[in-house]
Amino acid sequence: MPKQLPIDPGQTYSADKVRFTDIPVHAYKGDLAAEIARWGKDGLRAALRHMLVVREFESMLHAFKSTGAYRGIEYVYKGPAHLSVGQEAAAVGSAMALGPTDQIFGSHRSHGEIIAKGLAAVGAIPPGEVTSIVESHSDGRLLDLVTRHVGEAGGDPAEAFLLTGVLAEIFMRDAGFNRGMGGSMHAFFTPFGAFPNNAIVGGSAGIAVGAALRAQLTRSDSICVANLGDGSTGCGLIWESMNFAGMGQFRNLWQPPFDRNPPVLFCFTNNFYAMGGQTRGETMAWDRLSRIGAGISPGQLHAETVDGSNPLAVADAVARKAEILRAGEGPALLDIECYRYSGHSTTDTNAYRSRDEMKAWQAHDPITRFRDRLVDGGIITVGEADEMVEVAGAQIEAVTRVVVDRQLAPAVDLEASPTIIGDMTFNNEAIELGETAGDLLAEPAETSAVKSIMRKARSGIAEDGSQLSPMRAVTLRDALSEAILHHLTHDESLIAYGEECRDWGGAFGVHRGFADIIPYHRLFNSPISEAAIVSTAVGYALAGGRAIVELMYADFIGRAGDEIFNQLAKWQAMSAGELRLPVVLRVSVGSKYGAQHSQDWTSLVTHVPGLRVIYPATPHDAKGLMATALSGNDPTIVFESQRLYDRVETFEPDGVPADYALVPFGEAAIRRAGDDVTILTIGPSLYPALDAAGELAGHGVEAEVVDARTLVPFDYDTVIASVRRTGRLIIVSEAVERGSFANTVAANVTRLAFADLKAPPVVLGAPNWIAPGADMEDKYAPQEHDICDAVLGEFFADKRVNRRGVRNWDIAGMAKRGL
Amino acid sequence: MATEILVPQLGNEVTEAEVTEWAAAVGDNVSASDIVVVISTTKAALEIEAPCDGTLSEIRIGEGELTEVGAVLGVIE
Repeated sequence: MPKQLPIDPGQTYSADKVRFTDIPVHAYKGDLAAEIARWGKDGLRAALRHMLVVREFESMLHAFKSTGAYRGIEYVYKGPAHLSVGQEAAAVGSAMALGPTDQIFGSHRSHGEIIAKGLAAVGAIPPGEVTSIVESHSDGRLLDLVTRHVGEAGGDPAEAFLLTGVLAEIFMRDAGFNRGMGGSMHAFFTPFGAFPNNAIVGGSAGIAVGAALRAQLTRSDSICVANLGDGSTGCGLIWESMNFAGMGQFRNLWQPPFDRNPPVLFCFTNNFYAMGGQTRGETMAWDRLSRIGAGISPGQLHAETVDGSNPLAVADAVARKAEILRAGEGPALLDIECYRYSGHSTTDTNAYRSRDEMKAWQAHDPITRFRDRLVDGGIITVGEADEMVEVAGAQIEAVTRVVVDRQLAPAVDLEASPTIIGDMTFNNEAIELGETAGDLLAEPAETSAVKSIMRKARSGIAEDGSQLSPMRAVTLRDALSEAILHHLTHDESLIAYGEECRDWGGAFGVHRGFADIIPYHRLFNSPISEAAIVSTAVGYALAGGRAIVELMYADFIGRAGDEIFNQLAKWQAMSAGELRLPVVLRVSVGSKYGAQHSQDWTSLVTHVPGLRVIYPATPHDAKGLMATALSGNDPTIVFESQRLYDRVETFEPDGVPADYALVPFGEAAIRRAGDDVTILTIGPSLYPALDAAGELAGHGVEAEVVDARTLVPFDYDTVIASVRRTGRLIIVSEAVERGSFANTVAANVTRLAFADLKAPPVVLGAPNWIAPGADMEDKYAPQEHDICDAVLGEFFADKRVNRRGVRNWDIAGMAKRGL
Repeated sequence: MATEILVPQLGNEVTEAEVTEWAAAVGDNVSASDIVVVISTTKAALEIEAPCDGTLSEIRIGEGELTEVGAVLGVIE
């Protein structure tokens, strides 16, 4: 299907100017009467109180970190404390303008934001609902702790619940909102609209865009706010995310009612320093942060610079942006300038800023200024304001006394349950697919791509025993297509995107014809923004959707490194299982294109806990494993070898099932039986291994060939049962040998089956250097003769024949040379 | 004069293709560069243009049938 947006050369080359409009800087001029009318006197007093609670909370952490005590409570807190003293007006002002179901995503410095959002939510959600939220969390255990031990000094029970849950999370206790698995920099509580904070600078940007995309597709009225620091404007993901949220296709190509931009606000709390680097004037080019909106979209992201020392200026700006977002006209950007009095962290000695500067900003203390304003306006008396300070102090003290007490609020019991953290890694849930989705553009069976697959033989073996061509039998590519299309056509929460995913059909044709069936909003081309592709998928999934996204080449994992290794892999465990991340990430392992397009990086992703990793080698498995990946609620990386896309099914007598079928993870497959040596293969190495097995039989060696199928989870039982019979193990993969997952398997098999081994296991991978171009590839990825050389050379000295491959490495000598 | 519509070279390793759809019927007048037939390889669909002006006089490979590089898909007179 060709593009619907033709590029006209005449229009392209006509003389014109790119125009910009002015970006407002500190334009707020609200008068108190108007603000009273807007928020009520109670609302304004609540804003002051919330700022005081945040200040006291952060001051408490500061006291523990710097003196080991707070109000006579002694406690050594070993974790991080990136405090937001001075930024209270930004957090509270923003929370005032947001509704309880609006979602904030924060940074490493977000204690204040969660507390402010939570306090605002407690005030805004009907009391009955608040009660049911606090009663149902952790089966009532947290509420029970609060009720029994925090007592009346903790103030409103729901507020005490919030503060206890946050502080217990920061202090890594089981009573924390996420059982202490997140800690200070990752605390959150979604029922109050506080979504994950992120210890990786800028990490929330793409996640918030993904969550906003979910809001857009479910036609929810909620908006998503990415709370970011000024320093994050130096990070690539920020730019990728702003562009992603502003993509032209939302308005130009998506059909109503989805033809809107994701409602996301990039809300920069600009405290002028990124650790010790001064953003304005030193480390950034923008001069005013809000300027960057002008570079992103014609609407300039509706960017503004706002006075972050005034909660009412912030609330006014956030409310105006929220209105724009709810109208589908986002994304938007706010640059909220405020000064952080505390250091970056508690080890910060403020060597990078002068005392004079810090003193000058004391005069702009947001709490003092706001209190004075309310006093001047007759909204509160000095006495009432002072009492408010006392009450906030008592509230934080009451909560703190309980949380520091290890008897009352212990950490999870790793003595009694040593694997309890590991058990939070995966949920191992699976969904049941529903009826056919109601939003399809065409009946799949009526489309040419599906008809084309339906005409093919399911088995790759003809009646006469010959192998069918990939035009005549279902290929691994077709099998992947069938599984993905089945899910897309039976699950409206599932979306698919990546580069070239729609019109092109995926760079390797796996999505071919899907554009005729799946509407734009569930199948679209993404920008070349690998970080945003993965990050938005994480956000879309943790907000309740499901995503299958593609990186084209496994080599591009590097472009999405943080998003795969720190976000996709970790949020389930860091949330203690509260969050589910049903994301399938497809990556292909290339060939012929050289060092940056041919790498098997399975070992990188298996190394990081939290990712299921599969590498199907047959069409049957490709269909079944992909279906299992898409059915699951855990993140899964699917490796696809480009060399195998045209493979037909030659193992299963009935071929690739025509109907939907699952292949379970964690079950290796024996592809050839033998008693003399076990050849364990990962991905496409299956085929040279089978050829080698045939050749070895000629030497009187019967090889058992085992296809790993999935690496995480991994099936040691099948491998070890085989090794117990054969006594010999060689593991073949296309990953470079150093640090390969194959070495992990070799080490474990050695431990688990040492008595049965006749020789140490051998790992045969790619050598520890770059993948060369097409003509040299057969000296890189292990071939049939390399496997025969290794098996005969290492295991059967009496049957040795002249070596045919070039691999005769002196492992230790090469290592000394760095190879 | 009859002009054959041929299956073009489809890449180094591709020998087979399937006729996915005829965009013209026998007897239709076609102009050079009109898309007359769509063929598919294992990976991608390819639109094939009429090599000359004329009338599609013959379809030799029907929709859904397999063919090979160099084969005659149809004839324009």
